[in-house]
Amino acid sequence: MTEEKLALLSEISDVLKAVTSKDVELKPGMNIVNDLGLDSIAVMNFCMALEDKFDISIPLNDMASVVTVDDLADTITTLRSNA
Amino acid sequence: MAILDKFSTLAARYDALKQSGSDPFSVKFDDIISSVEGVVNGKRTVLFGTNNYLGLTFDPVAMERSIEAIRQHGTGTTGSRIANGSYKGHEQLERELADFYGRKHCMVFSTGYQANLAMISTLVGKDDHLIIDADSHASIYDASRLGHAPVVRFRHNNPDDLAKRLARLKDVPGEKLIVAEGIYSMLGDTAPLKEFVDVKREFGAYLMVDEAHSMGVLGQRGRGLAEREGVEEDVDFVVGTFSKSLASVGGFCVSSIEGFDILRLAARPYMFTASLPPSIIASTISALETLRHEPQRRTKLRANSRRFYNGLKDAGFTVGPEANPIVAVILNDVAVATAFWKRLIDEGMYLNLALPPATPNSSAFLRSSVSAAHNDEHIDFAIELMTRVGREFGLIPDAEPDYSNVTQFPRVSAERPAARASIAPARRREADVGAGMA
Repeated sequence: MTEEKLALLSEISDVLKAVTSKDVELKPGMNIVNDLGLDSIAVMNFCMALEDKFDISIPLNDMASVVTVDDLADTITTLRSNA
Repeated sequence: MAILDKFSTLAARYDALKQSGSDPFSVKFDDIISSVEGVVNGKRTVLFGTNNYLGLTFDPVAMERSIEAIRQHGTGTTGSRIANGSYKGHEQLERELADFYGRKHCMVFSTGYQANLAMISTLVGKDDHLIIDADSHASIYDASRLGHAPVVRFRHNNPDDLAKRLARLKDVPGEKLIVAEGIYSMLGDTAPLKEFVDVKREFGAYLMVDEAHSMGVLGQRGRGLAEREGVEEDVDFVVGTFSKSLASVGGFCVSSIEGFDILRLAARPYMFTASLPPSIIASTISALETLRHEPQRRTKLRANSRRFYNGLKDAGFTVGPEANPIVAVILNDVAVATAFWKRLIDEGMYLNLALPPATPNSSAFLRSSVSAAHNDEHIDFAIELMTRVGREFGLIPDAEPDYSNVTQFPRVSAERPAARASIAPARRREADVGAGMA
C-alpha cells in the first residue's frame, strides 16, 4: 500500500470516528456495511462528512458501487483528482 | 424461498414489531365514516393520519360528479394517453391546474409518486446533475435511480450546503436541477425557499418544488410554499399530488418552460401507465374548484394545526419546528413509540407511526395530519388522550394543566354496539355535512 493511501485511510477513519464514534483501524478489504456495522442512515451521514472533509460530492450512483474500504478510497481519490 | 432470503433481516424486524402486539403497517379499517372518523376494531376512531387536509373525501358535489362521470364515460380508460388517447377531462384538469398556478403547461400523472418519478428522471439526463435534499421523499430518491444523471445530496434545508455542492459543479458541464419539498412529510417543516432561490440564481440552476403536502395548505390562494414565500417566478417546476388536499389520487407538474409538452413523449412513467379514470378526474376538478373558492377551509386548517401543535407542545412533547398540518411528536425509542401508537388506536385515535429509515436520525415519530374537517372537540380529545398516555408512559411531566375549557369528544369514548360497526352501513352524509367549516 502506498503512503498516500495509508494517509487517506487514516483520514477516512478520523471521519468515521467523528461521525459514528467507532474507532476502527480500517483495512482495505473491509466491507463498509457489514464490517463497520453501519446502517443505511449511518452510511449517508458518514458519506456527507467525507464530502465535507475532502471537499467533494460523492454522487449516489458512485456510492452505490462502493462495497469495501478500498472502493471508498479509490472513489475519493478519483473525485479529488477530478476536482 | 431463496429468492426472498435477502429480506430475512427485514422480516425479522417486522416479526419483532408484531410480537410487541401491534402492526402499524396493516391497520384495518372496518369502515370510514367521514373525512375524520372511521371504525377500527369495532371502535369509533378519530382519524389523525390521513393527509386529508381540506376534508374533501366526502364532499357531496365531488361525489356526485364522480358518479356522473362513471355513468357518462365508464369506469376506466384501460390504457395510457399516448397509446389510447386523452379524454376531455384529462385536458380540462390540466388546463385548470395550469390556470390555478398561473403557468403555461401542466401534465397529469396517475399518482403523485409517478409525477416525481417521471419529471425528475426525465428532466435531467446523463450529462446533467440532480441535486436533492437529503431528507427527500422516497419518490424523489427512486426518481434519481430511474434517471441517468449523477445525484448529489445536500444537508436537509441547508442553503449553504446546497451552495457548496453547486460550487463544486460550477465548471462541470450540464444543467443542474435542485429538488426541494414545500412541507416535509415526516416532520412538517418547510424548505427555506427564498434562500434556495438565491443559490439557484447564483449558480444558474433549475428549481423544482414538490408541493404535495403544501398545496391547499400554504399561501394566500393555496398554491403552496412558493406562493407563501413569494418566489413562484423562480420555481421552474411545481409537482404535486391529488391524494392529499384534493382527496383523490394522481399527480401533476406545472411549468411555464418552453417546449414542456415534449416530456409527454420522453417521460416513461407517463407514457407507459394507464391514465386516470373519469371518476377520479371529475372529483379532482371539483376539489380544485372547492380549494380555490373556499379559502375558509385553509383558515380553519391553519387554526386547527395551531391548536393541535400548541396543545401537544404545551403538554411537554417534543414536536416538529413549525405548526403545520403535519404534527410530529418525536420519540427516540421505537418500542415506546410503537406501544404509544397502539394505545392511541385502542382508545380511538388513529395516526401514523413513522419508524427509521423513513425518519431522520433514527428517531421514531407519532405523525399526525390535521384536517380542516376536524372540530375543536376532535382536536381536544386527541390532545387530552396523547397527554394522558404520554404521562402514563413517563414521557412528559405530570404537572396538571387546566382542562376546564376542554370538552371530551363524546362519541369516541363509547364503543359502537356489538359488531354492528363493521356490518351496518355508516351514516355518511350527516357525518360530513358542514365538516366543521368556520
